[in-house]
Amino acid sequence: MGLAYQLDRTADVRPAEIVTYRDALLRTMQGALASNPDAVLLGQGVDDHKGIFGSTLGLAEEFGAARVLDTPLAEEGLTGIAVGAALNGLYPIQTHIRADFALLAMNQIVNLAAKYRYMFGGRFEVPMMIRMIVGRSWGQGAQHSQSLQSLFAHVPGLAVIMPSTAESILATYPWLIANHRGPVLCLEHRLLYDVAFRVDQQPDAERTPALGSRRLRGGKDVTVVATSIMVLEAMRAAEHLAASGAADVEVIDLHSPSHPDVALILGSVAKTGRLIVADTSWQAYGVGAEICRLVCERDPALLRAPVRTLGMAPAPCPTAKTLEDLYYPNLRRLTDEIARLVTGRAEHGVALPEDASMADVYKRFKGPF
Amino acid sequence: MTDPEIDSIFFSALRIRLVELRIIQLYPSDRIQSPVHLSIGQEAVAAGACAALRPNDLVFGSYRSHAFYLAKGGNLRQMFAELYGKATGCCGGKAGSMHLAAPEVGFMGASAIVASTIPHAVGAALAARRRDTDQITVAVFGDGATEEGVYHESLNFAALHHLPVLFLCENNGLAVHSRIDARQAYDIVDHAETYGIATRVCAQGNDPRAVYETIADAVRLVRDDGRPCLVVCDTYRQMEHVGIGDDHHVGYRSPSAADAWRRTDPLLLDAARVARFTPDILREIDDAVAFAESSPWPGAEHLLADVA
Repeated sequence: MGLAYQLDRTADVRPAEIVTYRDALLRTMQGALASNPDAVLLGQGVDDHKGIFGSTLGLAEEFGAARVLDTPLAEEGLTGIAVGAALNGLYPIQTHIRADFALLAMNQIVNLAAKYRYMFGGRFEVPMMIRMIVGRSWGQGAQHSQSLQSLFAHVPGLAVIMPSTAESILATYPWLIANHRGPVLCLEHRLLYDVAFRVDQQPDAERTPALGSRRLRGGKDVTVVATSIMVLEAMRAAEHLAASGAADVEVIDLHSPSHPDVALILGSVAKTGRLIVADTSWQAYGVGAEICRLVCERDPALLRAPVRTLGMAPAPCPTAKTLEDLYYPNLRRLTDEIARLVTGRAEHGVALPEDASMADVYKRFKGPF
Repeated sequence: MTDPEIDSIFFSALRIRLVELRIIQLYPSDRIQSPVHLSIGQEAVAAGACAALRPNDLVFGSYRSHAFYLAKGGNLRQMFAELYGKATGCCGGKAGSMHLAAPEVGFMGASAIVASTIPHAVGAALAARRRDTDQITVAVFGDGATEEGVYHESLNFAALHHLPVLFLCENNGLAVHSRIDARQAYDIVDHAETYGIATRVCAQGNDPRAVYETIADAVRLVRDDGRPCLVVCDTYRQMEHVGIGDDHHVGYRSPSAADAWRRTDPLLLDAARVARFTPDILREIDDAVAFAESSPWPGAEHLLADVA
């Protein structure tokens, strides 16, 4: 069944089911096409036998080639076509099997989609979704591994989300597709596709705000704000440290780098006095820098210790596994950082988990992609 | 064509020219603080093309779009107010000259990034097909835009999916100050035909009637067959790329070329129609400029409105 994570909901007695990240995506795509006749899915390979890692499988058969369109290799053109389609009444959902390919569409994303509403004084809306998958491990290398949330979240006019669980997909994608009237960029993590999550039968958009953040675990010693797969690593680190009694860790799933819940983060830091930001990308000008800005501009006195951030090493991603294991932040490093911050000592004496490589942990994940 | 039809297109072209001559007059006052890319010399393309379209057909423009905004039916008061940066402008003062829009008449905005709205016309045509709206869409661009990769991507997708798009190239032979023969190893028409896209050429792009006839033919093809068509209108940019000056003295083009186009310019030659229409147009321009001057500036409450 893979790994199943139960989110912090001890009082929940409703029956739950196990849903993979992939199946959550497939359900939301199916739901979008079924509920809105103007919704269309555009992307290279959306109708093939792999179906965007299973997240669009069967939809071309169910809804037809006019609504589930395999596309030429033309990222900028297709994003522009999606913008034009949105301007004339469709709800386009574009897919990139790797986020790196979205860089070819940066002109349309940044110069056009992000600005169409504002630049024309509110005369236009471009409701659309761009899904892009962040690769990791099994030799993805420098151009199949980039996690571009800070590039996108830097630009006013873009809504950027990074779902960390099946539940966050089921709770936020349908709401955004139905209600958000501008471009939504979804950075999905390839390693999460096979992970199975325990999910409420009725995911709740109110508890998981579509554009916002969510506290997944309460704690008094330290706040970990995490994105995407680092949310799971933060939960694992918190469980490890709780088991040994070394630290009581609060975990916040940032979820939306473009729309962080500042009050939630400040309230948490006010309680714990310590902040770690664990992101999936580079640290320079990144999510960690931004979360620290939000805290430091408002109330730096909340912090009883310097902030810490985790991210990828400041280099393109290497392919060799030995280097890749050093390149990414992992459970062991995150646990070590938390222990250092909470104890105030580098030699903290807290036992660290053995897992050094997330790719080894998520064993169901196999190549070639 | 009937005389009233010819009158109507001529009026539309003359109105664009007189509006832009007024902009030239006003510009030194610095009341228009926005880069202007004037269409003087090219007005007939917009006037002739838009006369061949229906109100619900959609036009996607470039930074040189005063002409298409007006020809498609955009409001003149709101245009001057937009150039002045006033709250009553067509985009509340946030757009300026380069981003005019009038969605109420199917003018779907203008972008300063060359070629960037071409795929929008293709996507809007995809939506028109899917929603069965009987619209056609028009991508307006210059010869320089055909050098961008996204132009190729757009032609391919429109041809592949048989979309009702009219690709309308205003070929003035210049990209800023670079001549077409220094930029292109291909012929725009031949290139489009390799996609199986039908093509039409209007060599006399300063004649509103000639443009109208070419584009009306292309529009029939696009609407009836539901397939894309490329129309190239040869035309001439009389003014500098951006700004209100005549730069024929700086050396990248010959003054004799400008003279050749002027010698066949109906807006200069047809003195009877010019005399007949000018007074009404000038009154309308006076009113629009007065409206812009007396309109309020956008206030701080607009700074963060409509971001997302």
